Amino acid sequence: MKTSISFLGAIAAGALALTGCATVNTVENSQKSGQRYPIADQRVITDESFNSRVAVIGVNAATTSGNLLKVQVELENHSSSIQRFLYRFEWFDANGMQMNNIVSANIPEQIEGGESKFIYSVAPNPVCKDFRVKFIAAK
Amino acid sequence: MIPILTNQIMKNKILLPLGLAALTAVFAGCGTDAHYVQTGDKEQLVNLGQINIQDYANAASDAVKDLLASGALDRVPTPPALLEISRIVNNTSQQIDTDLLTKKISIALLQSGKAVTKIVDPLASNYHQELQGSDTKVTRLPDFTLSGKIIETVERVGDTRRTTYSFQLSLNDTRNEIQVWEGEKEIGKQGTRSSVGF
Repeated sequence: MKTSISFLGAIAAGALALTGCATVNTVENSQKSGQRYPIADQRVITDESFNSRVAVIGVNAATTSGNLLKVQVELENHSSSIQRFLYRFEWFDANGMQMNNIVSANIPEQIEGGESKFIYSVAPNPVCKDFRVKFIAAK
Repeated sequence: MIPILTNQIMKNKILLPLGLAALTAVFAGCGTDAHYVQTGDKEQLVNLGQINIQDYANAASDAVKDLLASGALDRVPTPPALLEISRIVNNTSQQIDTDLLTKKISIALLQSGKAVTKIVDPLASNYHQELQGSDTKVTRLPDFTLSGKIIETVERVGDTRRTTYSFQLSLNDTRNEIQVWEGEKEIGKQGTRSSVGF
């Protein structure tokens, strides 16, 4: 009886290890030729649990050739399982007025265990100077 | 003996209504009352064999971001660029209105100030012709056309089904007959049945 319980337990643990805990190994060049310009950010965390699993590592911004603000956010999954979430970029003009269109849609995204990933968006027009990114964990 | 019996009756009196209340709660929870929702919210429906409204939003958002970042629309002699929406080929098993994709893109491009779209309203075109009269002034031709294709790929293993919708778009330079931008967004859904939530 004991043996059969242990056997089933081992199978279950093995199955769990094979299905839920595949993490990502990465390699990159150590001497970077590109320069990333990180910007200071301000965060409001209401979902501590999600934040502890998927964290914002940094935010950097650049301007496109068409004078549009382009923002890139680096995320890292600190857990060993895949995480699903929605994100949404909101844009504001110089007067702080929100300017939304389809580039502010809720976008579903997923990140593998241990993976680092970038999400980006481009301002809907040249008058947008500020932004905000929202994250909502999947159910 | 009597106190024990009374105690049992009391217990039943309390437990029975509690049980009924719990059952009511369970049955009431099985359905949801109609309420307004936001496109692409946490409660979005995920259909395996159908392009959902948030899929169009996702594909359009990706295309607009990519197109604006490319700067392709800025390379015209007289900005803003004049764009005409061309044909979007539907290679899926369902009947779809491609305006759900193209309208979102044209609205965003118009709001960006990088492009204006050519009139497709016949009434407006008639007025334009009348106003032109005998004037030999040539109507401005579009700098770009936007064309594309939506492709559906279905794979099955046992009960599990994966459907991938590929939204392919091309920005065509009419003067030089070249494609100056191309974008593709793949939206994949996998499961054994459709669900609520993502």
